[in-house]
Amino acid sequence: MRVASTLRFLGRAFAVNAKAVLEYRVNFFLQVFGMMLNNAAFAVFWKVLIDRTGGVGGYGFSDIMFVWAVSSTAFGLAHVVAGNIRSISRMVREGELDVYLLQPRDVWLNVVCSRTIVSAWGDFAYGFIVLALMPGVGLERWLMFLAIIPAAALVFAAAFSAAETLAFWLGDSQGISGALQEFLLSFSLYPETIFDPGMRWIFYTLVPSAFVAYVPLAAWRGLDWGAVGIVWAAALAWLLLTRALFRAGLKRYESGNKMGARI
Amino acid sequence: MSRPALALRKYSVIASVAIREKFAYLASSTARYLTYGLFVFVFSRIWAAVYAGQASIAGYDRVMSTWYFIVAELPIFSFSAFFARVSEELKNGQIVYRLARPYGFIPASFAERVGPALLDLAVFGAVGFALGFALVGPPPVPAGLAFAVVPALVVSLVLSACLQFFLQMSLAMTAFRLEENDAFYWIYQKLALVVGTLIPIEFLPDAARAIARWTPFPAIAWSPARILVAFEPRAALSILGVQAAWVLAAALLSSAVFAAGRRHVVVNGG
Repeated sequence: MRVASTLRFLGRAFAVNAKAVLEYRVNFFLQVFGMMLNNAAFAVFWKVLIDRTGGVGGYGFSDIMFVWAVSSTAFGLAHVVAGNIRSISRMVREGELDVYLLQPRDVWLNVVCSRTIVSAWGDFAYGFIVLALMPGVGLERWLMFLAIIPAAALVFAAAFSAAETLAFWLGDSQGISGALQEFLLSFSLYPETIFDPGMRWIFYTLVPSAFVAYVPLAAWRGLDWGAVGIVWAAALAWLLLTRALFRAGLKRYESGNKMGARI
Repeated sequence: MSRPALALRKYSVIASVAIREKFAYLASSTARYLTYGLFVFVFSRIWAAVYAGQASIAGYDRVMSTWYFIVAELPIFSFSAFFARVSEELKNGQIVYRLARPYGFIPASFAERVGPALLDLAVFGAVGFALGFALVGPPPVPAGLAFAVVPALVVSLVLSACLQFFLQMSLAMTAFRLEENDAFYWIYQKLALVVGTLIPIEFLPDAARAIARWTPFPAIAWSPARILVAFEPRAALSILGVQAAWVLAAALLSSAVFAAGRRHVVVNGG
């Protein structure tokens, strides 16, 4: 009952956010197109490089394209549905949580889902386009992709949100969350093997690139559904962690008596 | 004081105010310096993996490719913000105040934007060179030629800043006629990234390389990077000459776009 109600709430929040951004259609499609173009530029780079070298760190062109597809679509989904994950720090600092505290919904969920990021729609679409263009992707691989995406999106959303939530203790954590975003994306979009073995533990803990790129690739290569389960387990662990952090932090929140309204 | 000297003084003052403002808020760019450093680190690992299996690709070895990337990214990170600011000024009507002032719109924008960007370049350069020395050692400069490489590299980077400015200015000023012009910049930005920034143009397939050479994009990132990693005095002079020619062409283009566009300025309200 509670799950159904939460899903209904998420659906409505998404519909309202989508309507708001579609109000400016030209701007919407330009941003979506721009983000896909940005991603495609890197595809050209990898194509040229791998044609020259035959592979980088054990990755072929299709491996790279899969990693881009899954990371891009999951990153996009996280920001399409929960566009406020990178705004928590600012909202805490400026006392903007008051309005959410008065509403009869889970505060964290309500905060993160109350906005959508337009350019993220381009990221979201990009992965599907890449997969559609990749040769030899059968039904089972499509299903696997669709099973991985929500879990990887949860990892992105929960990790960014956890970093932003540190604002309850630090006052401002946008620098930390900005750095996490750069590190998470930079490490996810390149082969795991190019990095020293001594630093790879970071990808399975503090900067969870493993669960948005490396483990999904292992699942994809061997059609290993067990690895998909690992991604989901990591996603749930990150989700529990970020919610516990937010709940603990909320106890320290001080209202700024800022007037505001949500329409 | 002669007219050119007065003009030079006027634009120097504009540049110096903008540089001082940039200097005061230098820490706010920390995230961008970090991103650049991270990019350099990741690409140094890519080149280490690539060159584990072969000594050279298209005449570039591991050290050359790493230093190439460090320098090629400098004009991208330091000189990419021109478009957004000028375009915004045109869209929100701020341009009207500027057109009424006793200076040329393009030269004043040049002083105001390129001055602080050169300060940014110095910081990015310091980060890049420190990382480069730590990751792969010194750049592959021929013995005894360092005295010639440094000024050639600096001139090339300054020409790159000028070229980026005039090209982005030309694109931004399409806002005189069009409501939405961001897509032009995105296409430009991605072409600049693919043609000579992420990889040297020598890596491109023959046909793509032949086309790329007839575009201004190699003059943005490839030119300074090539000067550092494969310095040869005559080739460097030729590279600088080509860059200067593109700067001149881009400056003429931006003047033409401005002249055509300013006729369409409509002032509403007061």
